[in-house]
Amino acid sequence: MATYKIKVNGITKTVEAEAEMPLLWALRDLMGLTGTKYGCGIGSCGSCTVMLNGESVRSCQTAISDVGDKDVLTIEGLGARELHPLQKAWVEHDVPQCGFCQAGQIMAAAAFLKETPNPTDAQIDEAMNAILCRCGTYPRIREAIKAAAKEMK
Amino acid sequence: MKTEVSRRSFLQLVGGVGASFMLGGFATLACADESASAQDPFAPNVFLKIDPDGVCTVSITRSDMGQGVRTTLAMLVAEELDADWSMVKVTQAPGDRATYGGMGTGGSSSVRGTNQQLRRVGASARAMLVAAAAKQWGVEPSACRTEAGKVLGPSGQSLGYGALTTAAKAIPIPTDVKLKERSEYKIIGKPQNRLDNLDVVTGKAVYGADVRREGMLYAVCLRPSVFGSKSETIDDAKARAVPGVVDVFAISSGVAVVASNTWAALKGREALEVKWTEGPKHSTASLREALKAAAKDHNAMPGGAKRVTANYELPYLAHATMETLNAVADVRDDRVEVWTGSQSPDSAQNNVARATGLTADKVEIHNLLLGGGFGRKFSNEWIGEAVEISKRMKKPVQLLWSRECDIQHDLYRPMSEHVLSATLDAEGKPLGFSHQYLQAPGRGSGDYGTNTYLPYEVPSAGLRSAGVPSSVPTGAWRSVEHSQIIVANECFIDELAHAAGKDPFEFRKSILKNERLLKVLISAAEKGQWGKTLPKGSGQGIACFEGYGSRIAHVVEVTVKDDTIKVDRMVAVVDAGTTINPRGVEAQIQGGFMDGIATALYAEINIDGGAVEESNWSDYGWTRMSDTPKMEIFIEDSGGAFGGMGEVGYPSVPAAIANAVFAATGKQVRKFPIRLSELV
Ligand code: FES
Ligand code: FES
Repeated sequence: MATYKIKVNGITKTVEAEAEMPLLWALRDLMGLTGTKYGCGIGSCGSCTVMLNGESVRSCQTAISDVGDKDVLTIEGLGARELHPLQKAWVEHDVPQCGFCQAGQIMAAAAFLKETPNPTDAQIDEAMNAILCRCGTYPRIREAIKAAAKEMK
Repeated sequence: MKTEVSRRSFLQLVGGVGASFMLGGFATLACADESASAQDPFAPNVFLKIDPDGVCTVSITRSDMGQGVRTTLAMLVAEELDADWSMVKVTQAPGDRATYGGMGTGGSSSVRGTNQQLRRVGASARAMLVAAAAKQWGVEPSACRTEAGKVLGPSGQSLGYGALTTAAKAIPIPTDVKLKERSEYKIIGKPQNRLDNLDVVTGKAVYGADVRREGMLYAVCLRPSVFGSKSETIDDAKARAVPGVVDVFAISSGVAVVASNTWAALKGREALEVKWTEGPKHSTASLREALKAAAKDHNAMPGGAKRVTANYELPYLAHATMETLNAVADVRDDRVEVWTGSQSPDSAQNNVARATGLTADKVEIHNLLLGGGFGRKFSNEWIGEAVEISKRMKKPVQLLWSRECDIQHDLYRPMSEHVLSATLDAEGKPLGFSHQYLQAPGRGSGDYGTNTYLPYEVPSAGLRSAGVPSSVPTGAWRSVEHSQIIVANECFIDELAHAAGKDPFEFRKSILKNERLLKVLISAAEKGQWGKTLPKGSGQGIACFEGYGSRIAHVVEVTVKDDTIKVDRMVAVVDAGTTINPRGVEAQIQGGFMDGIATALYAEINIDGGAVEESNWSDYGWTRMSDTPKMEIFIEDSGGAFGGMGEVGYPSVPAAIANAVFAATGKQVRKFPIRLSELV
């Protein structure tokens, strides 16, 4: 057990945890940030995607001891001050069905659009293939990403 | 609280009543025992409350697992209430059959089962608000009208519903209210976004898995990999040594590991050493053999110029809801509280009452958003487990199923074998059609003389179902038996068309007796440019389905290249009778289509040595973004009753894809998921 100071959504939080505890469980069980979801625990579904210094990572595959002083951004922090264009597009395009994968989808898309502001369909496919949606909301995710990309120009 | 008790006893008196009775009863009670103050909300029954600020809150008694039912049901009330849609909110009703009646969500029954009741709720409240305003203005109610949350008087008077809540409470319940004609709808039929969207995209939406209670512990369970086996000896020394692990003990379904957080519980589970009793060593290979052996005789069928037969094999499927099963249970001596996402929260209340020896009114089931359902979240066994663990720990405990538990301990869509045969006359018209539907395990056997699953005109048609024993637990999966029967039927209809030397669309058209289905079929062929020239290696497939009060036809295009099948385009025409929310319908058709691709191309559960071989998303294949074809969805309602939407989008899809694969390759699909090496 060790003490970690983790900067999440701009706020430094102190947690006691085993070094190998995945950030996913630290967020959900120790910090009360349940917006980040568990879908597989093995890095295969992307439901747990958060940003670490602006890059998307799978929080179930990121040990708390590896976070260090990097900024963690979760779905709760993404639109805390003002909704991110992706969140707006998600609402407008009525993307969610059950909604359980959508935090991961949005966080992955947000990291992706930073790198690729004018994405082609093929680039969207490639980037978003990592995030599984069991409900099949992919067509609307695609539309919403394109709309947000336009909005962000 | 007094009202609550009266409501319960009222319902107990009338037993399994129709909803319209409930409405009258509740309302009378509500009027009788409350003294109005200026701030009173108007809650004529348990389904609707209007607050003085004008917010209309609809109580949703069905579970939202992604089908958007919270929005759809609210639209029904809002329509008849003439509410301002922007002022409509929903609240999820707790699992409580005595108060709300049956609450099971499945079989695309939510709208079909509740629309009469909910529209009456809206219409009655509206009538009471109008009467209250008319009284205040000294005019006849018939001289008033309503619009977007306001009552409007004959000489320009206007009062918002919020200003009328107290007065409306004094109005007697109307005994008969007239529901709107379809032409009068202002909310129904207009695309509405889901009411939960903002909560979902900001991470605020609360699913069962997100519930956190003071002093709560976290539990996971180790289950025997072989179905039917039990723990014999448990060595928990290493598990208990994992920091954070609080307790380890056997429960009815396996061994529970309780810890201060989920990660510790998972680590503890990994460290467990358990010896399990032997269980039946079924395998999908042996079950397939047994199914084939059981499939011998065909239903009696008239002879004909040509006889066509084909066998289709369908696998076990897991539901694999994105949110795995979970529940928080807080078991006290005199009451139990449960937070979960269940498709049958009312049954959960009874189950928990029975398990704890308490009466149902001492059991509170908070039903939250479900991260997927597809039929998996009916059985409530995970709630029983959470209750067992919390009872022992004397603390609130969250039980979470890991994805491995989920994939390996599902109630699977059964594997099945379909033996189809038909006779055709010299012109290629079918004379007889026989379908043997064999499942492992069987889910009841029977003969269906008039074939309810076959919308085509065939003088002699029969479906016979049977089963072989299997230790694999099974349950309902999106569209239930249609997910098997229709897939086989619609593949076989194409085979018949080929045997008759006819085009699959023209063949269907010539024998389809169901006019509404025929209409969507013709329209889909048109919209999908049926028969257009495609490059070599590509093909079109068509299939249709009527069920759950709705009709659909699919035209798909696939390309077979380098050993892979890619679905390029999907056109669907759907007739839901009267569509409530076109945006919701479109989403369900998209979702059903993606399920169709997943199960046509990837998903299967295999059993070996009595255990499931797959364990997570890594080996239980599903669709990803790059599998998503161009989709065109057309809603062409024929009017009349509201149809169901959760299931109808699925069954014809795998068949349409298989039929397109034939068009692309000249080879038949007889086995799902489709592998090019297995085409015949
Ligand atoms: S939960 Fe992390 S990738 Fe699935
Ligand atoms: S919306 Fe249900 S899993 Fe994506």
